[in-house]
Amino acid sequence: MRNISLKFKKVWKSAFIFASLSFLIVTVTQAQDLVEGKTLFKNKCASCHNLDRESTGPALTPKLNELDEAWAIKWIKNWKALVDSGDKQAIEAAKLKPTEMTTFPTLTDDQIKNIIAYAKVGEPKKVAEVGAAVKDEGASSLSIAGVIAIIILSIVILVVLGRAVKMLERLILQKQGIDIVEEEKVSLAVGVKGLFKNKKFVFFFVLCLVMVLGSFGWMGMWDTGVHTGYQPVQPIKFSHELHAGINQIDCQYCHTSAFKSKNSTIPSLNVCMNCHKSVQAIQENGSISPEIQKIYTALGYDPTTQTYDKSKEKPVEWVRVHNLPDFAYFNHSQHVVVGEEAIRKEKGLKPNEPVCFACHGPVNTMEEVYQYSPLTMKWCVNCHKDADISGKKNDAFYANVIAAHEKIKKGEKITPAMLGGLECGKCHY
Amino acid sequence: MESNKKYWKGLEEYKNTPDFVENNKNEFAEPLPIEDVLSEAGLSTVTPRRDFLKALGFGLGAVTLAACQKTPVHKSIPYLIRPEEVVPGIPNFYVSTFNGQSVLVKTVVGRPIKIEANPNAGAFNCGTDAQAQASVLDLYDVSKLKQPLLKKEETTWSKLDAFVKGELNKAQASGKKIRVVSSSLNSPSAKGVVADFAAKYPTTKHVQYDAVSYTGIIKANENSFGKAVVPKYNFDKADLIVSFAADFLGTWISGEEFTAQYVSNRDYKSLEKKKMSRHFQFETGMSLTGTNADTRIPIKLSEEGPALITLYNAITGSNLAGGTLGNNTNADKALKLVAKELLQNKGKALVVAGSNDVSTQILVNAINAAIGSYGTTIDLDNPCKRYEGNDAEFAELINEMNRGEVAAVFFLNSNPVYDATNTKFAEALTKVALKVSFSDRVDETSDLCDVVAINPNYLEAWGDANSYEGYYSVIQPTINPVFNSRQAEQSLLIWSDAAVQDYYQYVRNNWEKNILPSVGKNWNELLQLGVVTSTAKTAGSYGFNMSLDAVAASIGASSKALQKDIELHIYESIPMRDGKHANNAFLQELPDPVSKVTWDNYIALAPKQAEKLGYKEFDILTVKGANGYAVDLPLLIQPGQAMGTASVALGYGRTKVGKAGDNVGKNAFPFVSFSNGTLKYATTATLAATGGREELAQTQTHYSFEGRNIIRETTLKDYLKDPAAGSGNHHKHKVYDLWTTDKYEKLGNDWVMAIDLNACTGCGSCIVACNVENNIPVVGKDEVRRRREMHWLRIDRYYSFNDEKTGHDVTEEKEIAHMDNLDNVSVVHQPMMCQHCDHAPCETVCPVLATVHSSDGLNHMAYNRCVGTRYCANNCPYKVRRFNWFNYWNDSRFDNYLNNEFTQLVLNPDVTTRSRGVMEKCSMCIQRIQAGKLTAKMEKRALKDGDIKMACQQACSANAIIFGDKNDPNSEVSKALRSERIYYVLEEINVQPGIGYMTKVRNIDSETKEVHA
Repeated sequence: MRNISLKFKKVWKSAFIFASLSFLIVTVTQAQDLVEGKTLFKNKCASCHNLDRESTGPALTPKLNELDEAWAIKWIKNWKALVDSGDKQAIEAAKLKPTEMTTFPTLTDDQIKNIIAYAKVGEPKKVAEVGAAVKDEGASSLSIAGVIAIIILSIVILVVLGRAVKMLERLILQKQGIDIVEEEKVSLAVGVKGLFKNKKFVFFFVLCLVMVLGSFGWMGMWDTGVHTGYQPVQPIKFSHELHAGINQIDCQYCHTSAFKSKNSTIPSLNVCMNCHKSVQAIQENGSISPEIQKIYTALGYDPTTQTYDKSKEKPVEWVRVHNLPDFAYFNHSQHVVVGEEAIRKEKGLKPNEPVCFACHGPVNTMEEVYQYSPLTMKWCVNCHKDADISGKKNDAFYANVIAAHEKIKKGEKITPAMLGGLECGKCHY
Repeated sequence: MESNKKYWKGLEEYKNTPDFVENNKNEFAEPLPIEDVLSEAGLSTVTPRRDFLKALGFGLGAVTLAACQKTPVHKSIPYLIRPEEVVPGIPNFYVSTFNGQSVLVKTVVGRPIKIEANPNAGAFNCGTDAQAQASVLDLYDVSKLKQPLLKKEETTWSKLDAFVKGELNKAQASGKKIRVVSSSLNSPSAKGVVADFAAKYPTTKHVQYDAVSYTGIIKANENSFGKAVVPKYNFDKADLIVSFAADFLGTWISGEEFTAQYVSNRDYKSLEKKKMSRHFQFETGMSLTGTNADTRIPIKLSEEGPALITLYNAITGSNLAGGTLGNNTNADKALKLVAKELLQNKGKALVVAGSNDVSTQILVNAINAAIGSYGTTIDLDNPCKRYEGNDAEFAELINEMNRGEVAAVFFLNSNPVYDATNTKFAEALTKVALKVSFSDRVDETSDLCDVVAINPNYLEAWGDANSYEGYYSVIQPTINPVFNSRQAEQSLLIWSDAAVQDYYQYVRNNWEKNILPSVGKNWNELLQLGVVTSTAKTAGSYGFNMSLDAVAASIGASSKALQKDIELHIYESIPMRDGKHANNAFLQELPDPVSKVTWDNYIALAPKQAEKLGYKEFDILTVKGANGYAVDLPLLIQPGQAMGTASVALGYGRTKVGKAGDNVGKNAFPFVSFSNGTLKYATTATLAATGGREELAQTQTHYSFEGRNIIRETTLKDYLKDPAAGSGNHHKHKVYDLWTTDKYEKLGNDWVMAIDLNACTGCGSCIVACNVENNIPVVGKDEVRRRREMHWLRIDRYYSFNDEKTGHDVTEEKEIAHMDNLDNVSVVHQPMMCQHCDHAPCETVCPVLATVHSSDGLNHMAYNRCVGTRYCANNCPYKVRRFNWFNYWNDSRFDNYLNNEFTQLVLNPDVTTRSRGVMEKCSMCIQRIQAGKLTAKMEKRALKDGDIKMACQQACSANAIIFGDKNDPNSEVSKALRSERIYYVLEEINVQPGIGYMTKVRNIDSETKEVHA
């Protein structure tokens, strides 16, 4: 009988999901050409053009609105041909900016039309809710508030409904003449008191307490200086989840030297500027995102004039998350290049995951980065003991050594430890 | 033939003085105060139980609270805009030029931290000297000025320019003279700048002088052959080398280059071809070159000229007057032998003399012409351009200044108030209206100048050098100027209103116009190569046909003038040279190769001389020169010093150089005199005891080798008969294995070294290279006296007797007692560092396993594991382990040396800075091994021999240190270790060292022994 409320919940949930999905599908089909236009715009145009702001090239929405579409298509496809044909408007337009525009002869007219359609409609309000394809743009705060309101409302309704169903069930039971026995709360307190008078129980209780506290203490001491989960507040709220996760930017794009050097290096701000010169995450009130503005401030960059002022430069002081002591030498390139295969196998990484995840964890889901691995010597050593580097035997550097070991070990796996990877001086010098 | 020869490190050991015997028994230099503690009243008083508990409780609480600190937050500050070529963690190398030698500068994230020789250097195919190695520290010297000075006030460059230009215009208007004073300027561009400046201000003249002058050679060559140059010497082409007091392996002209040349005829490769040059050295003080000579004859300063006359007469059969050597019969006999051998080796012999006297050098030219050296061992057509100083012009400058004729004087890379021999220079300077110094600090001269236009270090500058005819190298900056300095050349360009005021542009224009077209290279190629050479001219042979009577008369007169009191020999020491780098703590702590003294100069006397005069070692003596200049110096008793002479090193006694170098030692420049147009580094002196005593900070007397047979030597004659002669390898020691159950095999690499004792000259540049590479702290004079120097690599110097009264080649121990001729000693230099023993005694005694063996043959040292019991140091038979008594990198007591915010920038980021209370020792540059392996792994290739080089090996001009993988049978080191000359120090105690030494071979025979009889 109680199942009524559960069933009600289920039905309610599936109806909601079905409704929202069908709404999405419909809107997606409607916005198909806009979506294609957007994708093409992002791939082909966005590195130089913004929709509503001057960037390397002019702002596209106003520009395209004033231009003749047929002419615009020709210009985008191959503006040089247009200039060569003696088109006056094109010759004028070619003088506009010092940088030459790229030509796109491979784009079909329909594709360019889609781009223009997208660009004319503009960003972000009108196509914000086109569905999953553009979800990565991030929902506006209004829609988030709406969703939250709906959730809260539905929870309230569910609770109220649940209560009502319970009451009704009780009423039905009462009507049927069945007494409802309330739980005896008083007897519990009496029972506890009685227990404390029981010496055996007290002894057992104290023993447990000592064991629990002792083990907590032991673990606490054991973990002294181990900072797994350390997640300091950074001067810029940089989200790895957004950059590495949603936007799928390769680790090496920013941490360039991890594959060359001992340091993986925090990227210098010129790397940020590669994208954030145009990606400014303009807010509702029209201002640049405050976090991106921090990049500009550090560089002394003025986004309106697009100029740098060296005298206003101020380096960003990031807080180091992964702190190895000075006496331990760690080299990124040794692990991510030389040892990649063995590490992937040892840590069970999926082929599409970067090798970095082996120690840094799922960075693509970290809003703010935290220390994933304990970085203790035991942790290093365990991996050096277990990882199988037999796969290296075709590598000219390892060939001789591994062949020599195989003679002794006869087919067992070869680990870094066997090649001296556990010796003090390999990491401490 | 087992060598029974007796070696001794110093006189105290040779004589077995009671002090020495007593000290040898002690583990510590200073007695431990155990007795004092036990006898103190504190121990006998009763401590109440409650007090004990209170103290215990408080202590526990305090320690707990102290430990409760928060983990520090580390900041990481990346570049705002990273330069394209900088990858943090990967060093960059740039070519530059130090002191005329092309070098590679290693930089990490923009900081220069190490100097290496440039492999493209061509003519300078050698390592780097101690000065070059230490020069990175000068860059970060905090004693330098941070802003230019105008009238002793900090100023801006624009104000300074306005002042100087105004004064120059006044000088110009008055028609008075303008003088640019510099040490030898071997930069073509800088010379161009000075010439442009002189064109703008026509009364300008460029005066070059060197504190240690080669004017004598230049004038003599002008006189003899019409070429006013220092010639190019080819020691590699000489089978017979005779040197009269020229320290050509150390300080004379181009020590490192000559070392490489000299050793190429004496190292293991040459010996395998059964070839070894022969080297006679006649000298007063014991020089580095003297210690390497096959036969060394001590002569007085006054005997140098007569000896050359005797030699000339013996070779040519002429009869010049003045060739009498008094009662130095050994020298007489040696000269006869030398004359005979020179005639046998015509065209393959070389005679050099260190004297700066024109007459002496003319006579040397005559001898060299007679034995056909010109065109073979001496090249006058591709001369050396490193030294062009003219002593007479400098002397004339002082006169001009005194007469008030000079209105403006500019000092470029020169400090005459300190190093000019004329002590009245400062007085003369007051008569000049505008005095400008391009010094980087307030030194003795710039202190008296109106303007100090601070000049950057060479690592911050553009420039070039022309060391030999047709041999050009470039200087390029490796860092932005650390302080607000501006290149002197640029200042001169600005002051002369030149069309091109940027010195970089000036250098580049000069190269692109004058040098690069002729060698077919462009500017970018130059910046990669560092050096360009045009085709060398053919060295012509030159004859000598002038009358030498006047020369002989002049030599005779100079010789006579020296024959009174004690003859005082003034020389450049290996670490300090002319004193320009006196504030460099690495150099101050580098032990003198012979006396092993650090942080001081001293007066050296022969043992018998000291005995005769009644002085004891370390007595402070007042040394009063012929010109009346007097200083107090501690006495060092130096075996091999000629009787009747004393030696004092230049370069010490700076008063205004910086925290590390101020008032270290005494200035010996005022002893130098000016006569016959050149500076004379010889005078006479009287000695008097002051009654004081000062212990010199010597390094080698710190350890005893307990009379063990650790040096092995032989003669060339015996070597040719049996290459294993003297190595002791005829009695193979039984090798036991400590591990009988588990076999430890070195399956990968086996890192070992071979050291050729015949190649090692003992110069010590490897020590500085090791210091810089491995962040080894400088501890200072007082700590060295307490035996606490931190050098991982030391060079042990052992004396032995030449005296061969016994009739057989090698002196037996029982015969030693009867010998007392301490003048005739020979020397062996032995580099000593951790031997990476396979059965390391240190490893078995470490209670915490902080030092353990690796599978590639290294003895590892884990600093963070070490608790400082020092058992390992006690148990090390080689005494190569060092204990950190202080946190040298973070202790205010060591601020003067390396511990400050600037000098810490010189640290190598790949090597830990060790903390107080841990042991350290040679790691065999494990950071370089790991880096070399990683490079090979990244490139997916096998490791090649030569991929990895040790810091000491790379600095060594003599290739005396060979490092590599013993498991690779074709590696250089495997081949070297198969040499019959190889022996292992203390191999009889079964420690199985990883470093093999090759026997010292001396090219002596019965004839040379006859000389000492």
